[in-house]
Amino acid sequence: MKVSKQEKALTRKRILRAAGDVISEKGYKTASMREIARRAEVGDATIYNYFPTKESLLYGYCEEKQRAVAEALKQIEDFHEYSLREQLQQLTETELALWLPDRAFLTQVFGLTFSAPVAGAVNLAGTRRLFTRMVEDMIDAAIEAGEIPEQPYRELLAPLYWDYFTGILAFWLHDDSEGFANTTQLVDRSVEIIAMVLQTAMIGKALDLLSFLFRSQISRHLEKLGEYTGPWKKAKRRFMEGGDV
Amino acid sequence: MSDSIPTGKLARSGIAGGALLKAGGRQLGHAAKRPFLSEPARREQQLQLDDDTARILFQAFSRLRGTALKIAQMLSMESNLVPEWFRREMSKSYHQVPPLGRPLIRKLILQEFGKPPEALFARFEAEAFAAASLGQVHAASGQGGEALAVKLQYPGIGVTIDNDLQLLRTLIRPTRYAKLLLSSIDEIELRLHEEVDYHREADNTEWFRNQLQLPGVEIPAVHRDYSSKRVLSTERLPGLHLEAWLDTRPAQQARDRFGQQLYDIFVHSFYGLHALHADPNPGNYLFADDGNLGLVDFGCVRRYSADFVELIPRLLRAYKERDAVKVISTYQRLGMVAEMEEDELQRFYDEVLQPFGDWLTKPFRAGRFNFANQGFSYTAEGWASFRQLAKVRKINSLANEFIYFDRTFFGLYQLFERMGACIDMEHQWLV
Repeated sequence: MKVSKQEKALTRKRILRAAGDVISEKGYKTASMREIARRAEVGDATIYNYFPTKESLLYGYCEEKQRAVAEALKQIEDFHEYSLREQLQQLTETELALWLPDRAFLTQVFGLTFSAPVAGAVNLAGTRRLFTRMVEDMIDAAIEAGEIPEQPYRELLAPLYWDYFTGILAFWLHDDSEGFANTTQLVDRSVEIIAMVLQTAMIGKALDLLSFLFRSQISRHLEKLGEYTGPWKKAKRRFMEGGDV
Repeated sequence: MSDSIPTGKLARSGIAGGALLKAGGRQLGHAAKRPFLSEPARREQQLQLDDDTARILFQAFSRLRGTALKIAQMLSMESNLVPEWFRREMSKSYHQVPPLGRPLIRKLILQEFGKPPEALFARFEAEAFAAASLGQVHAASGQGGEALAVKLQYPGIGVTIDNDLQLLRTLIRPTRYAKLLLSSIDEIELRLHEEVDYHREADNTEWFRNQLQLPGVEIPAVHRDYSSKRVLSTERLPGLHLEAWLDTRPAQQARDRFGQQLYDIFVHSFYGLHALHADPNPGNYLFADDGNLGLVDFGCVRRYSADFVELIPRLLRAYKERDAVKVISTYQRLGMVAEMEEDELQRFYDEVLQPFGDWLTKPFRAGRFNFANQGFSYTAEGWASFRQLAKVRKINSLANEFIYFDRTFFGLYQLFERMGACIDMEHQWLV
């Protein structure tokens, strides 16, 4: 039986939705592929055609979320009139709003990802790429429009924002203030700083400075190496038995 | 960079600590220099110091958006109760809010109404046109084309009120103005908790709109369809805020008329309705071209018992007649408990109460009183007596209804001074 592309996409979405529900309810460890398949109303075998492992379901769900966020941002009619600061804040707020029903699920993702950071990072690569693509697009648009200056090391900025965003999510998962007010404030204020940093192209300057310092220090040491004369003039004193002490 | 991100309570204390340290350092440097300065230079130096301190405090305040702005407004309302520099810095905050960006506006409207601003309103201005208590006001049009003033509350303000106030107490405690300011903060705390509920304000606005029917006074209609606990939409009234209106150099006649209207509102609310719009903050009045006075922001409304309303004119009359026995007995009926012997009480009356009463009834004795500054400030004069009154520790309790009554009265007088208005003080109730 031939299944159309569209149907396939719908089934995929349905499976992810079911995975989200089951994992939120039962926890990642207890959730079974069979139960997820049943909840999604697909055959026990069919689910493996879409997602070969339970892990791929978990991270597939995160990727789906990023697509939903991008879609929600596109729905905001005057989004392109927002300042970069507003766009970044809107991105962060939209992420939080869409993750809200899946907060329990996200806790599971965090647990799994940070208990095995390397494997976690590999699995999250797809999500991260979708996320950073949105940020890159906002930064590029801001540079094209002349809102912020050209940024040296531009390719570093979106991944840095991803790291920042991961921090925000972690903060949010532990935020017990009413309506997550503390997270809202944290985002509001930190995005302001980030916008300021971008405004002044500070990250590029800081990196330039660092690499300048690094190069000048290294070259000084290299010169010193040339002066190295071989054996010491006298024997080294014993540990903790120095003269004046 | 961490001190630039004022997040939780901890981080916010960091800001305050920083500001405090700076202020403290300057104060210290100033004290060390002082003995070597000549008298005029010393005064000059003092002024300079004050300005610096004000700026540092203001920086700290303005970064604590929301609660801090409200407190700034409350403090600048009590203009003579705090030093002039402080008032000057604070009054800048009326219309200079760190604006709520589009993402937060969107978030708030989505949370409250389940749809974004462009779906809820026919038109919505992303830029706020005024600061309000704990929020900002936007112009918008409803689906029927009606012009609205939409007040949005800073998200999460309820949570930060306690933290911010605790912080401000810490900030203020070591300054020279501690006693003056701390006493206000407890009341401010109560008021703030009431003011975060916009449903309550909507009720108050409607109540006043129905009850307070004075010619030339306008109270906006509430649009419930566009209102919630954190969003309040009302009809948009024309008019300028006090400072902007004063900048147009209005004629004396207009000053007197608006002043008189404010006074009539006060008298009528108190004696007729037993309730006061107890926030005589200049931002709450709109002075319109056609001579109408718009009354907005009913976040702080106080109601008074019939007893209190009846006893106040009795007290004023007793003061006017300099009748010690009647003054004391009225105070006692109002709930004042003074632990004093007969002669001590008499001395208290002579030294504190009567000078206060003389000041208080001065406009009433004049009949028509000119508040325009004639080389002296009537309210500044009164502040001296207020301070005398506050020093008396043997008064154990006073009807707490007094607090807001005095404040509103005093705030109104200060407004009259700013306006340079001449007011007819005579009213039936005084006779």
